[in-house]
Amino acid sequence: MRLLIIGFGFIGKELVKALRGKIRLLREIDRDFMVVGAADSKGYIFDAGGLDVDGLSAINRLSEHQGYRAGGSASELINEDLCNVIVEATPTNIKDGEPGLTHIRLALSRGIHVVTPNKGPLVLAFRELTSIAERNSCDLLYEGTVAGAIPIFSLARECLRGDKIIRLSGILNGTTNYILSRMFFEETSFDIALKEAQEKGIAERDPSYDVDGVDAACKVVILANALMKRNAKIGDVERVGIRGVTQEAISLAKKANYAIKLIGTIDRRLEVAPKLVPINHPLCVHGTLNAIHIEMDLAGEITLVGYGAGKETVSAVLNDLITVLKRRSKQKH
Amino acid sequence: MKFDLTLALADKPGQLLRALEPIAKSGGNIISIIHERDKPAEGYVPVSLVVDFPSRQNFRDAINSLKNLGVAIIRSEEVVEKVRLTFILIGGVDLRKIIESRVEGMRVIGFEASTPKLNEVSVRMDIEVQADMVGEVVEELRKISKEQNAILISPI
Repeated sequence: MRLLIIGFGFIGKELVKALRGKIRLLREIDRDFMVVGAADSKGYIFDAGGLDVDGLSAINRLSEHQGYRAGGSASELINEDLCNVIVEATPTNIKDGEPGLTHIRLALSRGIHVVTPNKGPLVLAFRELTSIAERNSCDLLYEGTVAGAIPIFSLARECLRGDKIIRLSGILNGTTNYILSRMFFEETSFDIALKEAQEKGIAERDPSYDVDGVDAACKVVILANALMKRNAKIGDVERVGIRGVTQEAISLAKKANYAIKLIGTIDRRLEVAPKLVPINHPLCVHGTLNAIHIEMDLAGEITLVGYGAGKETVSAVLNDLITVLKRRSKQKH
Repeated sequence: MKFDLTLALADKPGQLLRALEPIAKSGGNIISIIHERDKPAEGYVPVSLVVDFPSRQNFRDAINSLKNLGVAIIRSEEVVEKVRLTFILIGGVDLRKIIESRVEGMRVIGFEASTPKLNEVSVRMDIEVQADMVGEVVEELRKISKEQNAILISPI
């Protein structure tokens, strides 16, 4: 397999670092595995004989790498069939999904497998992309789009095929969980907790994407479409953020043994809203943790807890990549 | 559906069996039975039963058969399962609207309001409701809080 990494931001770089230590593991599955290219928004590097992952992990910007082709685009490399799997890790854009949507569409239509932690394209075009992948018999794996390192899609795909998911609820955004946890434990106001999160780099300077529940709503859409066969769009999600949650409300909840958490729910309706979670409920996790609680016809209830953002997301990307390699090596034999 | 049934049986051998037969014949599944032999009153022993019937009609059939046999029925009623739900409302809410809302069997059993310094008023309400009415209660509260521009925080 020849891998092209698109996007050399946080995830792209962390992936390269992780690949350094895992290259032997990957080659045990696929002897011919190599990274042939990496692209950012302004150009790419490419070597048909395989790039040196050690060298790649030492640079901060792709343009520092020897042979960087400024002005070149990832789409050129995909169009020329110079790779057979891509990791699409450009920044999330939920307005039009670009540039990720174009990359993914193009790759799948050429039978190139896609692994992506990029929510935008899946939120906007889930059905379209999964049907292109099916038509061209290639993989589209997106474990990293929801709750980072928590292997929710893999679990459902591999281990719960016989079950029907009836209801799903979860803490799908680490930033808001951090803020609400600070308000719960330290009795600070929303404004102070937000400021603290921003200083720690947990919240963006413009926090609306997180605190107004947009990010969690995106994940609800992907989960509903992928696990519960819905055809949901972001507008279908009823959404209330956490800006209006007061310290007093959190104290009142605490006295009755509840915490207030921003919960994404999929049942009859799709919803993101602050909810009361009993403090002994498995969903009641704190800090930047994410948690997903699924209710099934046979298995009953299962809860998964883990980190939803940061370098842990690389685990999801790497394991999706391994799934692609395993499936193809099976086909060869 | 479950029913509570208290019968007064003559303190003579074979009476319990005689009373249980029509219940079983009407499709009743006995969940519990308390035969209070230590509390006979004027020759009668109270027997308390919880019986699961497939429908209210089956229950009525059992009651009629028991009456035909001359069994005295002290009490018979459907067991209504109740649950407690906690809600928090943030913002100006007219609580009368909630208390006066027409959701069947809903009762506000606990209430606490914050004393806000800067923020909106926050209120916690504990509500008791029939188990099969939970959905309706949540919908009603959603509606009321929306009308009044308040944030409703409901249980997961």
